[in-house]
Amino acid sequence: MAALGRAALLLSFGLIVYALVAGSLAAWKRRRRLALSAQNALLAAFGTTAVAALVLWIALERHDFSFVYVADHTSRTLPLGYRLAGLWSGQEGSLLLWLLILTGYAALAVWLNRRTRDLVVWAVPVLAGVATFFVFMLCFISSPFKTAPAPADGAGMVPSLQNPYMLAHPPLLYLGYVGLTIPFAFAMGALLSKRTDERWIVVTRRWTLAAWTFLGVGQLLGSHWAYVEIGWGGYYAWDPVENAALMPWLAATAFLHSVMIQEKRGMLKIWNMVLVALAFCLSIFGTFLTRSGVINSIHSFSQSPLGSWFLGFIVICIVFSVGLIYLRLPLLRTKTKLESLVSREATFLYNNLLLVALCLTILWGVMYPLLTEAVRGETRSVSKPYYNFFLHSFGLPLLLLMGIGPLVAWRRASLRALGKTFLIPAIVSIVTGSTLIALGYGSSIPGLLAYTFGAFVAASIALEFVRGTRARHALSGGSWPRALVELVGRNRRRYGGYIVHAAILMLAIGIAGSSAYQTVRERGLHPGQSMEVAGYTLTYQTLQTRQEANAVATRAVVDVTRGGSHVTTLHPGKNEYPVEQQVSNEVSIYHDPRNLGDLFTIADQIDPKSHTLFLKVLVKPLVNLVWGAGFLFVFGALVAMWPDAVEQRKLAERYAPGAVAA
Amino acid sequence: MRQSPARLVIALSVAAALAVFILYTSVAGAGTPQLQPSDLAAHPQGDIMLVGTVVGAPAGDAHAAGGLHFTLKDAKGRNTVARVPVSYTGTVPDLFRTGREVVVEGSLRNGTFVAKPGTLSTKCPSKYAPAPAKKST
Repeated sequence: MAALGRAALLLSFGLIVYALVAGSLAAWKRRRRLALSAQNALLAAFGTTAVAALVLWIALERHDFSFVYVADHTSRTLPLGYRLAGLWSGQEGSLLLWLLILTGYAALAVWLNRRTRDLVVWAVPVLAGVATFFVFMLCFISSPFKTAPAPADGAGMVPSLQNPYMLAHPPLLYLGYVGLTIPFAFAMGALLSKRTDERWIVVTRRWTLAAWTFLGVGQLLGSHWAYVEIGWGGYYAWDPVENAALMPWLAATAFLHSVMIQEKRGMLKIWNMVLVALAFCLSIFGTFLTRSGVINSIHSFSQSPLGSWFLGFIVICIVFSVGLIYLRLPLLRTKTKLESLVSREATFLYNNLLLVALCLTILWGVMYPLLTEAVRGETRSVSKPYYNFFLHSFGLPLLLLMGIGPLVAWRRASLRALGKTFLIPAIVSIVTGSTLIALGYGSSIPGLLAYTFGAFVAASIALEFVRGTRARHALSGGSWPRALVELVGRNRRRYGGYIVHAAILMLAIGIAGSSAYQTVRERGLHPGQSMEVAGYTLTYQTLQTRQEANAVATRAVVDVTRGGSHVTTLHPGKNEYPVEQQVSNEVSIYHDPRNLGDLFTIADQIDPKSHTLFLKVLVKPLVNLVWGAGFLFVFGALVAMWPDAVEQRKLAERYAPGAVAA
Repeated sequence: MRQSPARLVIALSVAAALAVFILYTSVAGAGTPQLQPSDLAAHPQGDIMLVGTVVGAPAGDAHAAGGLHFTLKDAKGRNTVARVPVSYTGTVPDLFRTGREVVVEGSLRNGTFVAKPGTLSTKCPSKYAPAPAKKST
């Protein structure tokens, strides 16, 4: 079995290197048959990589501990789902998953765009170049198919990873990280082929959107996992590993906005190339962070030799993309200029600068320990206050721009027109802000600003839908809901975007509510004693202990009342795993439908002898909007991504005689 | 020829971003040093993020006035001798125990590292960490 896996990987290596060499030669010498052969090699590489992944999955499923990887990451008692998730629970397996997704994406992108020959011929060697690095690592540096005499049982999976989120969170992140390779490859392909018009953007728009969606949803799932599992009451800790996923997402967000300016006005060609390269390099940088152990993180990662390989690869990617953009600068310069600082394209530019500024300040924070070590010989690190400061400085204006952008006209907007369009959102936001101050929510300036700006954004999105639906209704008649559906259906990209904006707004409101206005109380309690937190009365009744399959579960019974009425009974406690010699906090949460928030309880310390409980209670208003935003985000992204026959026809006409299949 | 205002916007934005950055570093300081117990002798003052491995049995109660007391040694490097006693109050992470690598923020006072309440965190075992020892061979 292991020999089959090794052979499949070696075949992948041969095919990918062939696709790189033959693809480059074919593109350079304009040899069509050789180019087709290189494309076919890339398609075949997906097949052989799939065989290698299948071999490892079968070994994981069958407890084949002769595979060192299987013995190191699973055990006989591990349920099937987690055994299969073993593919991405270790270094070698996750590299194989990366290659599998990369070759799969590459095969699909090449096949879907086989008719846009001049772009694909150069995208193939770029894709193969990236894949060569990963297949080289798998064949010669970090093989998942190493064998040894089989132990009686494997080492198992770390208990904290044995969670249903383990089945979805890592693969979604990988789908996002790897997906950013496709726009990068086509962008570099466009530069290499000197086709610097908008075609590469049209071809890769949905790929970027898909990768961005996967990355966003993957992060949100990871946050929810941390929220319900780790037991600290938070969902984002600005840890380098979390930031590693956030940075390419921010760069991709900027890119998704700025490509619209290039499509509409032919501007920002250089900027778009820089952004796509930045997003790709940051996705590789994230992988470098998690595999090198160079930066202190609450996640422990080994100091593996893979770090230096990844660092070398990042340097190659940066030099390659910067060099290529520099070489093609004359082709990327545009005649179209920004006509006014008050225009749709200007607001997109502001949005881009803020997103990139936020991304780079996070990168600076992540790199800070390394930089201070190199410059001052002493490792210093920045923490939550640093990141929060920049999140407020750049994130709040970004939120406001989300509401301003859709209301401003392209090219140039007159002050009179602006006054007219901004009137309703401005009134809504001023009324919201004043009401919040009157209600006593002025304690947090960032929170107050977030809600005031949020009201502006909500009003501007609602106005866009109302105006559009009214126009559609006037044009085609029929019912109002039908007019709304038609409006969205005929302008999927635009209204899908607005739905995503609504999701980001929900997320911002949820984050502001649950962080700026949260209440935290902790107290030692004896049975029968109570504590008051934000209008709730929590009464500790008793302690219960029960034996579970693999743990001893201790739970405190805590009755919750509000205004004298019983609300719920919570059971925070701890699980003690005797085999793993680990104790885990088991939080108990009440989702309050009144304020869409949570009453979050943590049994910080339990004394089974005296039955005393040290209870930590967090009241987090609006936190459930954070999770609800995820659903709306996916829905909006799907609407924006959904194939549109009218758009396809227009594009085909625009780029005739070569048809486009995006 | 009239220049595009895009360049002006970019230049002003970069300047604004730098101004915000400088404002932050001047107001909030430039990070906290991350040190191991063996480095403490050279940095007796100021806020420190101490990284180390717990040795010996922790004593006391993190939620009582006296606090929790434990000792840290270097987690990395060759110095196996340096030890520093730590005094801590607040939430104790699940994974805290002898042999774990922890991070705690505070300052050195009379030879004891007095931690800020609630700043103790243990490293979370995660993907790509070295594989644990096998149960049997």
